[in-house]
Amino acid sequence: MLLEAAGIRKSFAGVHALRGVSFDLRPGEVHALVGENGAGKSTLVKIIAGAQTADAGSLRVAGQLVEHYTPAMARALGVAVVYQQPALFPHLTVAENIALALESGGPSRGLWRRVDWRASDGRARELLARAGCVIDPRRLVSSLSMPEQQLVEIAKAIGARSRVLILDEPTASLGTREAESLFGVIDSLRAAGAGIVYISHRLEEIVRIADRATVLRDGQTVATLARGAFGPAELIRLMVGREISAIFPKCELPLGEVVLETRALGSRAAGIRDVSLSVRAGEILGLAGLGGSGRTEFAETLFGLTPADAGEILLGGRPVRIGSPSEAIHRHRIAYLPEDRCRHGVVLEMPITANTTLAHLEAVSRHGWLDNAAERSLTRGLVERLRVKTDSLYTPAGALSGGNQQKVALARWLGTRPAVLILDEPTQGVDVGSKSEIHALMTDLAKQGVAMIMISSDLPEIVGMSDRIAVMHRGSLAGILNRGEATQERVLSLALGAAGAA
Amino acid sequence: MRRGREVALALAILAVAAVMALGAPGFFRFENQRDLVMANMPVAIVALGMTLVILTGQIDISVGSQFAVLSVAAGVLAKSGLPTPAAAVATCLAGALAGALNGALVAYARIPSIVVTLATMVALRDGLRWVTQGAWVQDLPPGFQWFGQSQASSEALTFGAVVLLVAAFAWGLGNLAAGRAFYAAGSNPEAARLAGIDPARVVFAAFTITGALTGLAAFANAVRFSQIPSNAGLGLELQVIAAVIVGGVAVTGGQGSVAGVLEGVILLGMIGPALIFLNISAYWERAIQGAIILAAVALDHGKATRALRRADAAALENHAQRA
Amino acid sequence: MLSERRPWREAWFPNGEWMLLVVLAVEIAVFSAIGKNFFTWANLSEVIRLSVELGLLAVALSPVILTGGIDLSVGSMMGLAAVVFGAAWRDGHFSIPAAAATALVLGAAGGSLNALLITRFGIPPIIVTLGTYSLFRGIAEGITRGAVNYSGFPAPFLRLGQGYWWGVAPVQLPLFLLVVAGYALLQHRSTLGRKLYAIGFSAAGARYAGIRVERPVALVYVLSGLVSSLAAIIYVAHLGQAKSDAGTGYELAAITAVVLGGTSVFGGRGTIWGTLAGLFSISVLQDGLRLAALPSELTGVLTGAVLVLTIALGRARRAPRRARQPAPSDATIEEAPEMRNTQLAVLCAAVLAGSLIVAGTNIWLVHSLRPADAVTGAALMPAGPPASHRPVIAMMPKAKGDPYFVSCREGAEEAARETGADLIWDGPTGLDPARQNEVVEGWITRRVDAIAVSVENSAGISTVLRKARERGIRVLTWDADAAPDARDYFVNQATPQGIGFTLTDEAARLMGGQGEFAIITGALSAANQNAWLGFIKERLAQYPRMKLVTIRPSDDDRDKGFAETQTVLKVYPQVKLIMGIATSSVPAAAEAVRQSGRKDVFVMGLSLPNLNKPYVHQGVVQAVVLWNTKDLGYLTVYAAALLVRGQIPPGATGFEAGRLGAIEIRGDQILLGKPVIFNKENIDRFNF
Repeated sequence: MLLEAAGIRKSFAGVHALRGVSFDLRPGEVHALVGENGAGKSTLVKIIAGAQTADAGSLRVAGQLVEHYTPAMARALGVAVVYQQPALFPHLTVAENIALALESGGPSRGLWRRVDWRASDGRARELLARAGCVIDPRRLVSSLSMPEQQLVEIAKAIGARSRVLILDEPTASLGTREAESLFGVIDSLRAAGAGIVYISHRLEEIVRIADRATVLRDGQTVATLARGAFGPAELIRLMVGREISAIFPKCELPLGEVVLETRALGSRAAGIRDVSLSVRAGEILGLAGLGGSGRTEFAETLFGLTPADAGEILLGGRPVRIGSPSEAIHRHRIAYLPEDRCRHGVVLEMPITANTTLAHLEAVSRHGWLDNAAERSLTRGLVERLRVKTDSLYTPAGALSGGNQQKVALARWLGTRPAVLILDEPTQGVDVGSKSEIHALMTDLAKQGVAMIMISSDLPEIVGMSDRIAVMHRGSLAGILNRGEATQERVLSLALGAAGAA
Repeated sequence: MRRGREVALALAILAVAAVMALGAPGFFRFENQRDLVMANMPVAIVALGMTLVILTGQIDISVGSQFAVLSVAAGVLAKSGLPTPAAAVATCLAGALAGALNGALVAYARIPSIVVTLATMVALRDGLRWVTQGAWVQDLPPGFQWFGQSQASSEALTFGAVVLLVAAFAWGLGNLAAGRAFYAAGSNPEAARLAGIDPARVVFAAFTITGALTGLAAFANAVRFSQIPSNAGLGLELQVIAAVIVGGVAVTGGQGSVAGVLEGVILLGMIGPALIFLNISAYWERAIQGAIILAAVALDHGKATRALRRADAAALENHAQRA
Repeated sequence: MLSERRPWREAWFPNGEWMLLVVLAVEIAVFSAIGKNFFTWANLSEVIRLSVELGLLAVALSPVILTGGIDLSVGSMMGLAAVVFGAAWRDGHFSIPAAAATALVLGAAGGSLNALLITRFGIPPIIVTLGTYSLFRGIAEGITRGAVNYSGFPAPFLRLGQGYWWGVAPVQLPLFLLVVAGYALLQHRSTLGRKLYAIGFSAAGARYAGIRVERPVALVYVLSGLVSSLAAIIYVAHLGQAKSDAGTGYELAAITAVVLGGTSVFGGRGTIWGTLAGLFSISVLQDGLRLAALPSELTGVLTGAVLVLTIALGRARRAPRRARQPAPSDATIEEAPEMRNTQLAVLCAAVLAGSLIVAGTNIWLVHSLRPADAVTGAALMPAGPPASHRPVIAMMPKAKGDPYFVSCREGAEEAARETGADLIWDGPTGLDPARQNEVVEGWITRRVDAIAVSVENSAGISTVLRKARERGIRVLTWDADAAPDARDYFVNQATPQGIGFTLTDEAARLMGGQGEFAIITGALSAANQNAWLGFIKERLAQYPRMKLVTIRPSDDDRDKGFAETQTVLKVYPQVKLIMGIATSSVPAAAEAVRQSGRKDVFVMGLSLPNLNKPYVHQGVVQAVVLWNTKDLGYLTVYAAALLVRGQIPPGATGFEAGRLGAIEIRGDQILLGKPVIFNKENIDRFNF
């Protein structure tokens, strides 16, 4: 056994995150860890990685019972973790990041050891190649995209020759092609006898690569199933404790007028060019593509964050210029639910009220002075409509679960009564229950005639929810599929740039 | 690209030097250069420590007060009969202790560094006034001034030590695992923790080292004179911080080099005397210094402006890269 | 059940402001017990008046720090605005309102410069304002050449800073309340304030919510400049003078108040009323220490301790609060790594104990090295002959730590013992006319019997001294005079003219009446030194072949004076003599000349004999001009004690002053005698 955790308990100042979890990992297997947000997956990972200490229970790593466990010890014992948020140093180069990870064996030894930077360049290049990507090791990490950073993390883990590799939602920010190459890496590591703990919300991935799967719910182990004994439906049932019959509450609606249209839209700063598409009232336009294909950048151009410098945007048939988010929101009634919920979607430290009204303060103020009662009643309405789980309107957003945070972020935009709503990965990192609630809400909004653009990496979601699907590839449009003709395979082949797929 | 600030500063220094070469060649005489180096030595030594502190994303505004306390401590220790080298070591240790107090409060009690060092700044300065009542330390033992040697050899010794120190810091920060730990802890503390580096310990070390270096600077400065005033180091913190920041160390941590800091010390240190050589009235000196600080940091504003447009530098770079 | 009410503690004390209320309550309780006349309306009114300028800056800095920024230039902007206000009124012949408007526009312009560099150029605020901190003060010094002191403002204007409403409330109070109310509304009740909070927590998040981050941020910096110049105008009205050193060091005091008040330096947290609580816990502490006759240096030590303690407690308190909230989503909240509390406690305790030991040994060592007659600690002197009423004599130097005044104090304490008086010795720690006023106000509240002041700024302090006389307190000035009607007597050790002329004559004697010389001053803006410089230049007319080549400041820092002298020696190799006119600049110049090996350069000036003894004996320093400082302190206290006891009747022409023997009174001046020139022959006979 590479890992044996038994009866692990952990609470944060009275709140139980883990209530007696057991988990083990054998050499040469991929063991998936699934559960809704807040089920305790990340806490368990942090305990295995030595980043947090368990309150009770025993942990054996490589057969050795560990006490006073630290990240440095974990590394020494061959445990490597690739976190959801890359743990890299933005001001250092790729090579320096990899070298630091591989060389610092902890502060106790080697404090005065010299780091051989020259040798590290070549090794970084080799490791990155094994991780299936080509990145110049001398680039600063701050200049890398999210998927590229994720790949650097994986290269670090490969380089550490870890016996235990923990991947926490590794494909969340990866495009399909990068994900495929990651699966290749996982296969070869598994073949070499390493054990892999794989965490993902994408159940089809788990069904595809996991040898075993352990389901956590409310800080407890619900079940550990062997390959073949679990399918997506089974896993979902175990995760939520109930069956979910209809995952996508999509209903066909008559579409209205064209609300938004772009003609050969381009922005050099955003790296997109020649994007022509349109959305009608009541329509959900899916926007698919690999990570870095320009989906998010297109949305940010429409939202005025990176103003367009080529082509034109038409709203209700009239050409407009959108120079800033403020213009987009107030003049053009465009709303954008950003991809990065924690940094951009909500302000974690602010209460639900302030978060909800932040984008349309004029609705709850008179001549620039806030009206608290109006703010409360408006927030209350939205919180109840979206069924945000909270006991007070003044709870800081950061204290909510991921799904509820996303609902608060959505509430903000619903409050602006948008004509066009752009949703960037609306259900990424959101638990299954909230996910279906968000989908239901989208259907509701469509009935009210809101034009929506939904960006998603989740293929079943995009195929299931969209009226039409626009697929981007390398900064421009690769094709548009109608609901009837769209399959996951066709979307994927367009996203991969395969010619003639449409 | 990563060396932008160093190049800009080198150009600025060359420009000032060129003006001096034309306007007042006497500026480059050996005696003047020597005196300039000695006068800026405390700033240079403390700036090394401050570089570490700012690299880890913290700040220490108590170094001026520490310098005053440690100068008096140096004199008092020497007068108490300790041999000069022992007094020097004791002063550095006392400095390390003062720095460790700052460091413990910042790193382990997790109080923001500007709050902690603001507190120790006023407390140390007022505490020293209270204890000394403004009295200078006089009648120092004969072996104290110039370490009991000749002025020239003592100055050469100090200069050599400072050069070694600067070189050691420059090399160590770039090439030692310990040096990179400061960049790592300042760049992304959470990532550092996961990489087996304890950021709290790094921050604690940065403050402690700064304290020890302040002790060294205070002692090396004290031996240049035959008595020690109790109000030394007035405004030293601002001089040091200005030099470090002008030298290109990012106040948000994680970025900067010893070479840049050294250039910052040199540029700011040469302005004042240069103005005297050019017969510019003392009354405008402060205004000119302020203008030069602003000009030096505005030199590479282009990059920064773009960063602000997005309030999110990393994402911006992504786009630029992909474009 | 969805609660719409914020828990009252979070609504009122979101950042642990209640701790400051506790601190304030403790301060009030303690000082009511040990301070004299502390718990009175009059004192409350004074505390408020003295807090207005600093309060304005602190209130203006609150939203700046709230956005995660900082403005170090507010104190310097006060200096620049004060000077421009004075110049516009006196030299530009503007009316007072027009001059005030000019200063306010300038303040807004200065703030706009900060705002521009921060929001347009994207330079971090600490760097920008560090630069403008030097720039603004530098321009103020440049246009006034450090020396110009605008005074003689019309009485209605001065009432703004010195008058009362209905005899109790300071005139500036309504203005202050107006600004506070404006800022409180802005920060807490306006959409703009909400945006500031969002920006403070997450600038990127605010931007994605459609907020134009640059605008609110720019606005708070512009407002901060504007309010700084408003503070400058009140400061000018308060002191009756406008000078380039107005507001020196106020930026740090204001930041301290803001941070103490619970505003987070990381941005996003803070309240205006917390800032007020922070402000008053500092100013009540200062006032209370004064009324309790405790050394004012304790202010810094106690402020530091309170600052660290409240912030540390605030942090400790915030951590458990998180626990009551629903389980955090594991992806978002990064739990702080567990602190091993015991280890931390041990570490802190060890460090604290270590520093206490070091501090303790230092105190002990310093004590053991000091002359036996010097007394430290509490300023109240026991002993002395028994008397039915022990007069309380309050004596103020220009700057407490200055060795010159320290030696005056020795004489003062000696006289207090002999006359059976209680001596309070207090004053600013650096040259600070505003602080001098505060101290006198405190003494009036405390109802001392006599006040003796070494005046930094005549126009500013005369009003308070007059008030002291109205309350029946005997007022003396010593060392430097106030307006004649503001005091009973001036203990005159030497007139500026006498000093200037003696220095020039002695320099001329050493130089043989010809050649170049240079002067090293203390601070460029020091009033007394500028007066001496004026008389030196006047006297130089008699020595046409002597040339003053340069005047360099040393900022009262020995090391800076040393470096300046070194450079002067190289730039002006013809210089035959260096004259220092501040206590530390003579030994500084002497050390520089000695190390240069130049035997042909004389050093002389105004300083203390003890600091120069080694140099005089080495032949580096030829002459030190000074009066007997110990005797000056002695005579001042002696005269004050006699005055309180009614033993110097009006019209007296002299009195017996203990060991000094017969002392002459000429008009309203008590004469100590002429300046003494100390040289190799006589210097060993003096010990001060």
